[in-house]
Order: sequence, then structure tokens, then C-alpha cells
Amino acid sequence: MNYGEGITVARLLEEYGEKLALELRAGAGGLERMLHNGEVHRPGLALAGFVDLYTFDRVQVLGNTEMFYLGRLSKKERRIALETIYQFDLPCVVLTNNADPFPEMIELSDSNDIPLMVTRFATTKFVHLFSYYLEDYFSPWTVVHGSLVDVYGVGLLFVGKSGIGKSEVALDLIERGHRLVADDVVRIVRRARGILVGMGKEPVRHYMEIRGVGIVDVQRMFGIQAVRDQKRVEVEVKLVEWNEVDDYERIGLREHRTTILDVEIQSVTVPIYPGKNITVIAEVIALNYLLKVHGIHPVEEFNEKLIRLMQERKALKERLSPGPAVGLPEGV
Amino acid sequence: MEAVERTVTIRNKLGLHVRPASLFVERASKFKSDVYIIKDGERVNGKSIMGVLSLAAEQGSDLTIRAEGEDCEEAVKALSELVEEGFYEE
Repeated sequence: MNYGEGITVARLLEEYGEKLALELRAGAGGLERMLHNGEVHRPGLALAGFVDLYTFDRVQVLGNTEMFYLGRLSKKERRIALETIYQFDLPCVVLTNNADPFPEMIELSDSNDIPLMVTRFATTKFVHLFSYYLEDYFSPWTVVHGSLVDVYGVGLLFVGKSGIGKSEVALDLIERGHRLVADDVVRIVRRARGILVGMGKEPVRHYMEIRGVGIVDVQRMFGIQAVRDQKRVEVEVKLVEWNEVDDYERIGLREHRTTILDVEIQSVTVPIYPGKNITVIAEVIALNYLLKVHGIHPVEEFNEKLIRLMQERKALKERLSPGPAVGLPEGV
Repeated sequence: MEAVERTVTIRNKLGLHVRPASLFVERASKFKSDVYIIKDGERVNGKSIMGVLSLAAEQGSDLTIRAEGEDCEEAVKALSELVEEGFYEE
């Protein structure tokens, strides 16, 4: 499992500066510092002198509490408190609520090359937005050889051997109005709460190789409605040759699962042979998944109906053919 | 399963663009072994043209070629030669 390697402070400012309302105030010499961790830390205890287990490698967020605390200290005490945290290799420091940095902070940020930024957002809001925008930089990810298509809003991930026809199935689905996310190279990221999100990779995003034809530009050919940039991965569809399968599903009472980045999703194995229409099967898989999401389990309902019917028949039979227990009383 | 890998450097000026990538895939597909290219911790299928192209491997970048299977030795030898020869480009 790979983990996102993080982001430099420079890139954070460039790409999310506006969204997070971040302004650089000092420590520009440290813009190439890396953030390796998507969590933030409020260094209240560290400022008070307790640095055991201090998670200095995270973004240090100073909110009202920390600033108020620092404001109440004498100049000398404040310098000591700030030096306590600035002695560490901090990636950057963020002041929330548009707080005015203390002169000691500016000085220490510049001399240690630790970027100091200010945001107008309140601490909770900032922390929330920071995790939201930057999650992908720190999340576990993998690259899967397959095709990801949005079929009726369900993310179907087609996998199978090279040349089995994943791209052709994807192309057929696009032609029927479904949307391509990525072909052949699917980057999958695990977001919070065990959600898998798949996307294409630049520069090959939304291009496809069709054997016998070559590389096809899907967006140009089918239009913007035929593609989407990312989609939750919900069902794996495993394409296998007809003779290779011994154990494909005939009924659908059992649900098979597969694990990607420690997240379990449903997996459907579809045996294929020439002339078999996988596209329609893929649509049925997506619709079936949607029914289940909405609490409808067709096979279970069918089975209940079947059992009910058989029990009625049995009861009727027992009424009509008097056995020893239900026979008429003697002498009648 | 038997597996071999070797790290090679992209030598040709334009990097792993469409022509060399297709040469690579064509040659990789002749082997029975599964072929992978690993760049910066990311692994793609060496028999998939889109996979190889997605690496956007520029001149000077290091690739690890890995083969798994009965003819992995020959596969890695042939493919790393191809890369080291700069795909017979300028």
C-alpha cells in the first residue's frame, strides 16, 4: 500500500491558498518544507513547556486559546514559549481568526525558515477545510489495471487479464450513455470512512486503447457527457474466460467480496465468451446494486415467495388428504 | 513464482512517448510472463500501452522492469536492452 507523499507548503499556498484563505506572513525561506501528515496539531501544551509526544511534524494551528495564552505572558516568557515549539522542525504554523502574529513569531519564523500563515477562518472551520481539500495527498492509494465506468451512477471497476476485453466493454457502455472515469490505469484512493475513489491519471486520462484501432480520445469522440473525473468504486466486475471459472454465481443469494486498500466491496465474476453481451450484464449488475442499496433484495424476496407458495400447497394437501391425525372421528 | 527485476534509465531524448511505449508493449506481450514497470513506487502493467504511457517517463528517469513467470529472465533482458538502447532513437 502506498501512502500519498504529502505536499509542500509552497504548493499548499499555490493551490489551496485561496480556498483556505491563507496568507504568508513570514518564513518564506521554508516554503519547500513538506507536509507528510494530513492532521493538524494545536500546540497548547507544547507552548506551556510540555513537549513529550509533541507531534511537531503536523501543521501547527494556533487559535484563540493559544494566542490569548501567549498574549498574557510577559515578553520574555512569550519568547521562551515560542522558542519551545520553534526548536522543532515544524512544517508550518497557521494562525486562525485573522490573528495578528506576535513580533517574536515573525522573527522566529524567519530565522528558522518555518512558514507562518494567517487565515480568516476560525480554527474548527479551518481544520475541517484543511482535511477536506488535502485528504488525497495523504491517503493510501494504489493503481489498478482495469477500467472504471459510471453505470447508472454506480462505479463499476472492470478487471481481468490483458486482452480479455475490459476496454471494449467500457467503450460499449460509453456508447450507451454511461461515463468513462479511467481505462487501463485506475488510480484508487481510500478516503475517510472507507470510501474508495477511482480516477484516471494524467496524461492518459480519458484516452483508451482499442485493440486493432489504436489510441482513442473518448472525450473528443463522445463528448463531455461521456467522461467524468472521479467516481466512488462500488462493485468490482471480474471478467474471466468461460472455461476458467468453476464457481460463478448462479443465484445471487451469496454476495462475493473483494478487498482494495483494506476496504471490502462487492465483487461479481462474469464468465465471457464470444458474442456474449457483457454490456447489458454490466447494466444489470449496476441496477441490482442500486436495488440492494435501496433495501430491495430480489432473490431473497423471490425465495420468500417460493417458500410461502410451497407451504400453502402443503397445507392444502394436508387438508384434502386426511391422515391419521386429522381424520374424522370414528363412528361418523 | 519465479521473478526477476532490473532497474534501467531512460536514455532517449523524448522519453517514453508513444512510439517507444508501443515498442515496449509489443515486445513485452511476446513473453508469457507478467511484465510490470515500476516508477517512483507506482507499478503499471508492462503489456498495457495506456499503463506504460501513464508513467510519462522522461529522459533520465529510472524504471524498474519486473517479470514474473517462466520466461521472466529473457523478458527482463530483452526489455531492459530496449530501454538502454534508447529504443533505437536519437
